[in-house]
Amino acid sequence: MGMAFGILARADGFTAAQAIVCSATALAGAGQFIALALMTAGADLASVLAATAVVNLRYVLFGATLSPHLAATPLARQAVLAYTLTDETFAVNIDDLRRGTGDDLTMLGVGLVSWIGWVAGTVAGVLASSVLGDPSRFGAEYAMVAMFTALLVAQAEDRRHVIVGIMAAMVAIVCAVVLPGTWYIIVAAIVAATVGAVVFR
Amino acid sequence: MSHGYIWAVIIGMAFANYALRFLPIAVVSRLQLPRPVMRWLSYIPVSVMAALVVGEVLRPSGQWLAPCENPYLMAAIPTAAVYYKWRDFLGTTLAGVIFFLVFRALLS
Repeated sequence: MGMAFGILARADGFTAAQAIVCSATALAGAGQFIALALMTAGADLASVLAATAVVNLRYVLFGATLSPHLAATPLARQAVLAYTLTDETFAVNIDDLRRGTGDDLTMLGVGLVSWIGWVAGTVAGVLASSVLGDPSRFGAEYAMVAMFTALLVAQAEDRRHVIVGIMAAMVAIVCAVVLPGTWYIIVAAIVAATVGAVVFR
Repeated sequence: MSHGYIWAVIIGMAFANYALRFLPIAVVSRLQLPRPVMRWLSYIPVSVMAALVVGEVLRPSGQWLAPCENPYLMAAIPTAAVYYKWRDFLGTTLAGVIFFLVFRALLS
């Protein structure tokens, strides 16, 4: 996945340094791909940042779930662990913590491995992109759409989430006609999640 | 895309992401999030992805495409099925690109 980001970021006009710095500092998986998709769609800075912030709101949920296990951890160490909090590290760490085999040190290890993997993947993608040439010949512009489709199916874990997703899609179509740029994503997500949280108790 | 714009996105994303990761750990460990908020947060990812996919598929590169001549939309359907069946991100991404190339060739 890091590699895919490297290839697509280069194809969309990032320099090699920008692609690598982006992966190293944002460490955001889907958030980075969304930023790329919106930037190529010509979205303004505020809407790109707002959309990535909304998709990364899930980190709040992860953080809140992890926090009881980190209550005794010093703030400085919490600060480092927070930096490496991603979907993958959360899944591994919460599993370790619940089995009782996890602590601050194992979490730091998991975080470090995941950061190195993501950044090294991006470097590999950047290098590969210079060999590949025009990525559109290979249908590279669809890689992001395919990944978002997979993520959507992955998130639709039960009937309620499916219904909320369908609602978001319908609101998005209406908003895409009415609103400028890519604000429809933010509006549709907030509206659908709010209706879902109110309706499904 | 200008370099200044790209750097602004990178820097903004770095700060916003870190705040979203750190604040809940630092603050919520002292104060429990209310249930409705947790529930709202659990619906955010599926909503964002649904809105995003709809936009990318129906209006690729900013232009609305009719469903019957839209390779983006057609390829999304088998792509979703592939992920549903095998639960593999990388494989699904590759399969999706192949579906897209096939539909693009058929419709052109």
